[in-house]
Amino acid sequence: MLRNRFGNRPGALPCGLAIWLLLQLVPSLMAQTAGMGVLTGKVVDSSGNPVANATVTVTSVDNGQARSATTGMDGSYRFDDLPLGNYRMKLEAAGFQTLEIPSATVDGTKPSVVDQKLQASAPTTIKPTVAQQDNLPNAPSSSTAPSLSDLGLTPEQTQGNPREQALLDKRTHMLKIHQRMGLITTIPLIATVVTSLNAGGKNTSTASRDLHTALGGLTGDLYCITAYYAIRAPRVPGTETRGPIRFHKIMAWIHGPGMIATPILGIMAFDQKNKGEKVHGIAQAHGPVAIVTAGAFGAALLSVSVKF
Amino acid sequence: MKKKILIAFLLVTLPTFAADSQWVLKQSTLTYHVSHPLHESEGVSHAARGKGVCHDGQCDFLIAVAVKSFDSGDSNRDLHTIQVTRGAEFPLVTVRTRLPESAAGAQTIDADLQIQFAGQTAHYKQVLFKLEKQGDEIHITGTIPATLSDFKIEPPSLLTIPVKNEIPVRVDMTWRPQ
Repeated sequence: MLRNRFGNRPGALPCGLAIWLLLQLVPSLMAQTAGMGVLTGKVVDSSGNPVANATVTVTSVDNGQARSATTGMDGSYRFDDLPLGNYRMKLEAAGFQTLEIPSATVDGTKPSVVDQKLQASAPTTIKPTVAQQDNLPNAPSSSTAPSLSDLGLTPEQTQGNPREQALLDKRTHMLKIHQRMGLITTIPLIATVVTSLNAGGKNTSTASRDLHTALGGLTGDLYCITAYYAIRAPRVPGTETRGPIRFHKIMAWIHGPGMIATPILGIMAFDQKNKGEKVHGIAQAHGPVAIVTAGAFGAALLSVSVKF
Repeated sequence: MKKKILIAFLLVTLPTFAADSQWVLKQSTLTYHVSHPLHESEGVSHAARGKGVCHDGQCDFLIAVAVKSFDSGDSNRDLHTIQVTRGAEFPLVTVRTRLPESAAGAQTIDADLQIQFAGQTAHYKQVLFKLEKQGDEIHITGTIPATLSDFKIEPPSLLTIPVKNEIPVRVDMTWRPQ
């Protein structure tokens, strides 16, 4: 099967394998730049669950230089481009005992992996040696440094919520599109308002009305897309609307219905005009409704763009 | 006679055994400032918690504040701030520093800060703070010269223009001995 995949030519299989192996090694080789290495691992609790937001500090035994990283949601951490040598490690997380590892070697031939398990209980009271303190000027020592639990913070307050982050990410993504589409919509909206000067009145041509209608149609379509991304953006529970966004939303209750009414009235006015009639009845409201709608749209845009 | 010796011994040795002291953050106002060509905005939090533990003449301080506690007066901006700083995933900003116990009597201090925020750790060297003694409490003010890039935060943009990288954080805290 592999032979089929790499072709039937003699030597094709070893060549393909070599390329595959090289591809597997490239990331590792790139990480292991001259004199540098990678230290990585995973921090878990006693049940094997990943511990997120834990601080992993590595301190060079040779020169005392320290670097810190924070574990991700999967409990993993990574130090790239570490000078080769021996390191002391310290793992800290709220609600867990601080763990100190006296020696971890970064040899540069392959990423050093240090997976550790933290015990949930009061912070350790082991006093650091003077040498350790000297190596960490101005850095808190593990023995006396207060922990998050000392501040009265519960694990619920210190642990992240990836689901909420995903919700916020989606919200921001959709509102970014909403913002961009709103800006794009402004262009045909202004053009529609400008061309309305030649579309109404007695001495207007069919071409002017057609242009005005086309621009109005384009504005309506873009507006619908803009509105879709605002309406469909996820709501964040427990959030009270405050500040300029409140005015922005109030304006939507004006320009939203206006964007529906304006084209309907516009079509009625367009038909009356094409029949050679003077615009009459409810169709006369097309212009004023359009102006109010455009004004509300502009105010909504400015309210979140410029601080008054 | 033995009783007197014992009392004398206790009086001599007690200060040595009771050397550790602690500080508690009584009140705080942390204010970040964000600049944009169209906007200047600030977010304020009064929700920081802090503690300092002194031992052998050195005090280790830890201050933590929830990202969500910052209020800029605009709920939309605050939600966006939480999103862009990954505040739901990393809900706390923590500041750690170590100061000599004698700094409590100084008028200014240069503190080396280790700040964890948005899943990143940044170190700020010799950040100047002013100290003012108010009875046995200490009032501290200063500005941390934080930037978005320090924490690998992509600058949010408004009307396609990104905000400035600098987000200085004004600190106004009152500490009291515990």
